[in-house]
Amino acid sequence: MKTLVTLIRRELQEHRVGFIYAPFIVACILSLVVISVYFGLTDIQTTEFNFTTKIYENEEALEWMATATPELKTAVIRSGLVVLGFPILLTVAFAILAFNISTFADERKDRTLIFWRSLPVSDLTTVMSKILLVTVIVPLLVLPNIILLHLIALLSASIFFATNDIVSFGWVWNAYSFTDWFRIIFSLWAQSLWSLPLMAWLMFAGAFAKRPIMGALVPIVAGVVLEGIVLKTNYIFTFIEDRLGFWTRASSFPKQAEELRVVDISDIYLMLTTQEFWIGILLSSFLIAGIVYFRSKNNDYSSE
Amino acid sequence: MEREFAIKAKGIIKSYDNNHALNGIDLEVRSGQVLGLIGPNGAGKSTFLQAVLGLLNTEGELEVLGLDPRKDRHKLLQKVCSITDVAVLPKWMTVEQVLQYVDGVHPRFNIEKAKSILSQTDIKNKSKIKTLSRGLVVQLHLSIVMAIDAELLVLDEPTLGLDLVYRKEFYSQLIEDYYDGNKTILISTHQVEEIEGVLSDAIFMNQGKVVMKDSIDAINERFLELRPNQDSLEKAKSLNPMHTRTELGREVLLFEGTEKDKLTGLGEVRPPFIADLFMAIMDKTKSEVL
Repeated sequence: MKTLVTLIRRELQEHRVGFIYAPFIVACILSLVVISVYFGLTDIQTTEFNFTTKIYENEEALEWMATATPELKTAVIRSGLVVLGFPILLTVAFAILAFNISTFADERKDRTLIFWRSLPVSDLTTVMSKILLVTVIVPLLVLPNIILLHLIALLSASIFFATNDIVSFGWVWNAYSFTDWFRIIFSLWAQSLWSLPLMAWLMFAGAFAKRPIMGALVPIVAGVVLEGIVLKTNYIFTFIEDRLGFWTRASSFPKQAEELRVVDISDIYLMLTTQEFWIGILLSSFLIAGIVYFRSKNNDYSSE
Repeated sequence: MEREFAIKAKGIIKSYDNNHALNGIDLEVRSGQVLGLIGPNGAGKSTFLQAVLGLLNTEGELEVLGLDPRKDRHKLLQKVCSITDVAVLPKWMTVEQVLQYVDGVHPRFNIEKAKSILSQTDIKNKSKIKTLSRGLVVQLHLSIVMAIDAELLVLDEPTLGLDLVYRKEFYSQLIEDYYDGNKTILISTHQVEEIEGVLSDAIFMNQGKVVMKDSIDAINERFLELRPNQDSLEKAKSLNPMHTRTELGREVLLFEGTEKDKLTGLGEVRPPFIADLFMAIMDKTKSEVL
């Protein structure tokens, strides 16, 4: 256990910018945007997304706020917060992508692999520490940033509503479900497991290919093209597309995803019942075994 | 219980595309030896050391500290330390971070000892490794290794690329502060003359084979080098030297198994430098093959 903790701590020390600083900075920027909007300093109005206090000049909106059921209020606040937190998740997704492709390639390139492997840590433990990092630890590190953003958004909204006599200060707090924090973390863990085959594939490419990006892309592009020409199917493409997206939106997910909702814990059970999920886990296991194999064979550092 | 042999190798073969990097190595290394692996590029020194560390699969029987390095690599690395190349410490880490890391993964690492050794150097705990000179990185690596209570230390070109001062410091610190008579040390380097004084035993390797293995004391007894006086040259040559070379226009004769008394009076007699002996044996091997 001590070894595993040490390995994960070392990864976080090396990748603190991507996994710790970047999501926090994005959360701070988003918080500033939220504060600016509620204090009337700016508006965000695009064709896809509106975030402005001008809607509260509309009588219908005010009436809805006064009469909406608690469930409806909760659903609306959730939807808004999910959209608001999305840039944090996107930032971490890019950090994970960069980590996966580079982690085993860089240690070969800068030859630190020699040092890591000179210590009593098995290749399997090292690989599993990296898998654990991206699937379990990073989502845990992201959560406080999302919570911070939520709390700042709720506080800003409460102050705005109370000072403008729209609704009481406690309106948003009553509607906000604090148990969503658990839903978010479980949903992120589920997402990590759902996308694990892609993450493991990128690590695998980093472990064996001289040029990891090419090593990751070429076999997949070749596979998609060959499958299309020979079998006239697109399973590989669909598989990748599904794993890149949210797990509740995958074509194999047995329940129609509602627009912008925070998932229920019961959805995870549903995911576990799908064949596709276990195919992904099986595929990931093979890829992890491949990473361990290639890492153990990377001894090309003879001084002779 | 004290182990008699740190390494036992029998018929070790490692081939790459029909080339034998190791061609039937038979070797027994006693615990407590400071053994130098000496040979030209491609002799198989690093390949053998990698096999000892369990980094390579080889044919034959190999036992290191009573373990099979291929099967028990994880267990073995708790008892073995290695410096394979000093330039490999992760540059992004601070000194403190690398010490904490080793402390977290190595059950025999004494972080206080490492810090105590480092306190006698110019290395600061908060320094990033990338800011340290190559010489200081070597000191840091050596400090880490010296704070590990290992039974076997494997050094493969540990001072490659260092200037003379740091190379000398490296080996003197290693022997004075680390070697306690029980630890076994394997050193492979091209700079033979620098390790000569620290070795208890030497192995000469060429083309994947052990050409000669003996203790330094036995070598010094078995081989003698004579710089004959001008008038004694012919007499000295009549005693069948195993090798003759020219140094600054003067012939130097190497004898094997010749009594010192026979050579005394013919010129300056002394044990040969390991490097010179190695060259002589290589020349002899070559001429025997031709």
